[in-house]
Amino acid sequence: MDAATSLAPATAKRRGRAFRVLPGVELITLAALVAAPFLLADRPELVTLMTNILILSLLAISFDLCWGYSGIMSFGQALFFGVSSYVIALVGRDLDFSQLWATLPLAMLVGFLLSGLMAAFLLLGRRTPTSIFVAFGTLTGAYAAERLVAGWQYVGAGNGLSSIKLMAFGSTEFVEGPAFYSIALGILVAVFALSRWLVRSQLGLVLAGMRQNEERLAFFGYRVQAFRALVFSVAGAIAGLSGALYAYHQGFTGPSNLGPGLSTTAVIYCLFGGSGTLIGPVLGTAAIEGISFVLSDTDAVRQFWPVILGFVLLIVVMFQPTGLLGLVVSTRERIGSYAGRRR
Amino acid sequence: MDIAIKFAFDILAFTSVMVLIVLGLGVIASMMGIFNFAHGELVLLGAYTVYLSDEAGLGGWPGVIAAPIVVGAVGLALERTVIRRFYANPIIAMLGTYALGLMIREIVRGLLGGHYKSIPEPMGGVFGIGGLEFSVWRTFIIVVTMLVIAGSWLLLSRTSIGLKVRGALENPALARACGISTDLVYSLTFAFGAALAGLAGALIVPLYQLSADIGIRFLVQSFLSVMLGGVGTFEGPVLGAAAVGAMAAGLPWIVLPVLADPLVFVLALAVVRMRPQGFIAAGRI
Repeated sequence: MDAATSLAPATAKRRGRAFRVLPGVELITLAALVAAPFLLADRPELVTLMTNILILSLLAISFDLCWGYSGIMSFGQALFFGVSSYVIALVGRDLDFSQLWATLPLAMLVGFLLSGLMAAFLLLGRRTPTSIFVAFGTLTGAYAAERLVAGWQYVGAGNGLSSIKLMAFGSTEFVEGPAFYSIALGILVAVFALSRWLVRSQLGLVLAGMRQNEERLAFFGYRVQAFRALVFSVAGAIAGLSGALYAYHQGFTGPSNLGPGLSTTAVIYCLFGGSGTLIGPVLGTAAIEGISFVLSDTDAVRQFWPVILGFVLLIVVMFQPTGLLGLVVSTRERIGSYAGRRR
Repeated sequence: MDIAIKFAFDILAFTSVMVLIVLGLGVIASMMGIFNFAHGELVLLGAYTVYLSDEAGLGGWPGVIAAPIVVGAVGLALERTVIRRFYANPIIAMLGTYALGLMIREIVRGLLGGHYKSIPEPMGGVFGIGGLEFSVWRTFIIVVTMLVIAGSWLLLSRTSIGLKVRGALENPALARACGISTDLVYSLTFAFGAALAGLAGALIVPLYQLSADIGIRFLVQSFLSVMLGGVGTFEGPVLGAAAVGAMAAGLPWIVLPVLADPLVFVLALAVVRMRPQGFIAAGRI
């Protein structure tokens, strides 16, 4: 035992490898999500709720990549979510095709291309846009898309598209239930792992630098907006995937899935749980959807549920900007550590 | 020719409403640098005031007169308690004001019971000039808008209050050093913006049915107008609102109505992208 550690374990802990809360939270969440279908086997409606939470968590994670990691306030995540859900519904209706090995990648591609286009328009170019303009751009995109879809007969106008063809693999079709839950969980874990790797890589370090001092990083020669555009596109792909799963799970998609309403719900999930942590959005989604489910039995409360949601958002942005996880996770850990440069 | 005049009149009336809403939004955006997502709900509160006075059997007029006062007071209260915490961070301000707007909207929706209410025009009927008929209420809206624009401009450019406001806009630190309470200026500016929203709400409610979403439909258009016209100027948002209002009212005649709505947004956004400072660059009040 060398002198440093023998002196005071507490300081060693602070100086060396700090005690980490996040991996613990991530593991507990994973264990709970894996155990859930077994514990809830006799409550099918709860399995459905949990599947919904998993799917919406993907949307919340995609927003976290935008806001928590690259500082884009996106009021348009639902746009990629919704367009993918419509594409999936139309492929099912017009081509009679719903094999998940093809449609889910297609949804990701749609989300990726659409968000890439939007990023190219909003972020890239000779003039650097202000963050407010970018926020408005995403908001306007989502709003315009909602209005367009709500008036377009081919995609069902205001009624949306219902009885979407069930997701299938080979000849197996998936209705809501434990099987669908497992697929959603698998996808969520994969997306989470990928995002976690991304934000802890050297690219993540650049993103952290951007959050800290964007101008300085630009002087170092980084093309800051290109990094933003890249992360935004990846987030768009994740939102697209989420939208496709949502459409399959609900069997329905409508104009409200495209609009600023759902986009801001994703914002609330993420901020409530704790942005910039990846696991925070998952917990936030679970908490808010869970509370909503419990309260939905009471008529008086259900009517004012959006008021409660607004109040929660207001309290979070005013008093607890780091969200629920901010209560237990230190700032240092939230900012994180990054993979070494490959030699 | 007759149709063209009617058409121009309709565009003018719609644009006037836009200008009223955008003026309030633009004043707040210019002064404090925050975009008030609850502005649509302030419009809604103005409309709701008229509905209340109509329900109470007083007719629309007391509501129309009370709306700017009531909503201005609400705006003052909101600024004092919540909004001022957000001045440091405009992006967080968007979220905070969105949350406020959501709460106001859903409470009013609850109070209305989810129904649409129609409110008669306090001054109904039409008048004719040279064989053409014009709606009295729409004319009233246009006249009031003109008066508000003129009044605001005079207030800003000819009075000592306006001088303080311009000073706080130009250089807040120096204004504070000169003994101008920027806090007070910000509070009053916000209340003034809210009052304009309330007035707009009161004026438009007879044209559209009252529902909780009456303000939302103008919100995105108003934001684009402010950006299009240029933040930090007085004329800018007015011009922007005129442009967006004319596009929104005129485009459905040229392209499919389904496409017209999103097209307005995309066009406006593209212009802002090309010319981020807006039609009129800042610092010219």
